[in-house]
Amino acid sequence: MLNKELRGKGWVRYKRQFELQLFAYLGIVFLAVFSWAPLFGLIIAFKDYSINTGISGIFTSQWNNFKFFKEFFTSYRFSELLRNTIVVSVLKLIFTFPAPIILALLLSEVRVSFFKRFVQTVSYLPNFISWVLVYTITYNLLSEEVGAINNLMVNLGIIEKPLPIMSSPDHFYSLAVGLSVWKTTGWSAIIFLAAISGVDPALYEAASIDGAGRLGRIWHVTLPSIRGAIITVLIISIGGMLGGGMGGSNFEISYLFGNPNNYKTADIIQKYAFDMGLKNGRFAFATAVDLCQSIISVTLVLISNKIAKMISGEGLF
Amino acid sequence: MKKTLEDWIVDIVVWVSLLLVAFITLYPFWYIIIASFNEGVDMMRGGVYWIPRKFTTYNYVDFFRSSEWLSGLKVSVLRTLIGTILTVTFTSMVSYALSRKDLMFGNTYRFMFIMSMYVSGGLIPFYVVLRIVGLLNTFYVYVIPTMLNLFFVLVGINFFRSIPESVIESGRLDGALEITIFFRIVLPVSKPFIATLALFSAVHQWNSWLDSTYYVNTNSLRPMAYYMVSQINRTISSTSSSQILDSSAVKVTALSTQATSVVVSMFPILCVYPFLQKYFVQGMMIGSVKG
Repeated sequence: MLNKELRGKGWVRYKRQFELQLFAYLGIVFLAVFSWAPLFGLIIAFKDYSINTGISGIFTSQWNNFKFFKEFFTSYRFSELLRNTIVVSVLKLIFTFPAPIILALLLSEVRVSFFKRFVQTVSYLPNFISWVLVYTITYNLLSEEVGAINNLMVNLGIIEKPLPIMSSPDHFYSLAVGLSVWKTTGWSAIIFLAAISGVDPALYEAASIDGAGRLGRIWHVTLPSIRGAIITVLIISIGGMLGGGMGGSNFEISYLFGNPNNYKTADIIQKYAFDMGLKNGRFAFATAVDLCQSIISVTLVLISNKIAKMISGEGLF
Repeated sequence: MKKTLEDWIVDIVVWVSLLLVAFITLYPFWYIIIASFNEGVDMMRGGVYWIPRKFTTYNYVDFFRSSEWLSGLKVSVLRTLIGTILTVTFTSMVSYALSRKDLMFGNTYRFMFIMSMYVSGGLIPFYVVLRIVGLLNTFYVYVIPTMLNLFFVLVGINFFRSIPESVIESGRLDGALEITIFFRIVLPVSKPFIATLALFSAVHQWNSWLDSTYYVNTNSLRPMAYYMVSQINRTISSTSSSQILDSSAVKVTALSTQATSVVVSMFPILCVYPFLQKYFVQGMMIGSVKG
């Protein structure tokens, strides 16, 4: 039978598996330092903490009576930051969630396996490059000054002068959403493709005999069969919504694509926390701002869970 | 079987949309490659869409002469190698221990790990911790905090549980230490898991620039990706002035350097892409089965 040596009771068993315990302890020490300590560190949002006082300062500094929260809520940038944070997250979810399902359905309708493999391989590619590269490539193609596509459209007479896609507050939301769809769709489609390939072919035959055409089979067989995968992905996406969903960080987009021309729509709460904390050195204030984002995040998840329950009768948790 | 009208329409829509998807995905990459092989000043005049108009490799010569880029490249390579090795070893060891059903307090440990995945203190408290433990502004800040990937700990628990007990048992009969069993017996049969973890970790390390922005202020510790970000700001200021077009002495523009850096930074990924694609897909599936 299994692991006779490691069985036994209490101390004896513990001593026998000491090495294994050691492996686990190493992991726990790591968690304590890099996950739990920062969690405890959130306390500085409520204190007048100065980074130069080190660890002991966390305990000795004065409580600040929520002054940083008050400052953030009454700041003239608050409503703008809140709006951007929520609008970008929600728009991204609305577009990046169905796109991979549609791509997977399209791919599953291709009977020529060479073509299918080709498109699939190509579509994963953007997932492997960083947002920095996405920014650079976008700048070369879409910017007002040197963008090739802007250039082409002006030459063809479609538009009179280059569109300020990357330098106007009017275009930031669509830019962020469009690029996220470009970057993540192919990769996210993998799960749905796998789910589709697991559908019993007999179901399709039965549907054909009943007179369903190709669209009918997609609607009545494929989609209901991959319902589980769709819900799973939805859960993951909503959970990470404010961070940027499954395949991308909202902060990175805001940091890279934001500039003095479009900051009114490009700045999100996280970016503001970064500017305040690491750039201006207001650590405690930035912690409070960051904490607000976490609270909004949890609230959004709870709300969407409620809506999901109302619509489909099936909540996420 | 005869194709109906519906079949024809569906086929046409499917092929046209997928060709469009392939084009929209590939063209930006192609454009940046052309831009890196075209003379910088000429490129700024516009109108180059399909092939380089004035072909040159000078952009690359210039790129590899710059000490800044070379130092960035070195840091990127180092952090990718060291970071990947550390992550793979540490994450799989911890995950293996947690996967064992006979581990005392195993359920408590596993609960602690899963919970930690969902809560985070955020940027600033993390920064304060790094400062206290002395990782700030060192090379280790790139590779130590990433050593334990919680998502892969969970994937690993599922994976290691699928290894038959008898395999592990055979090592124990020889009286080997747990660590020997792990390296000699468990790791060799865990290739799909190890490969997936290694590849995810390597791509992550290679692409990372935020940690350098947050936690480092020494230039010699900057990875290549960081220099690309700072290049962005320089490009914006330089393209707004038209002077660059007038001086014929300038062969390389900020834009052409940028395009070159993109290609250099994509190159390793493009090289291994055909091979690692298979593993990535597998890895994605190991992860999603867990649900």
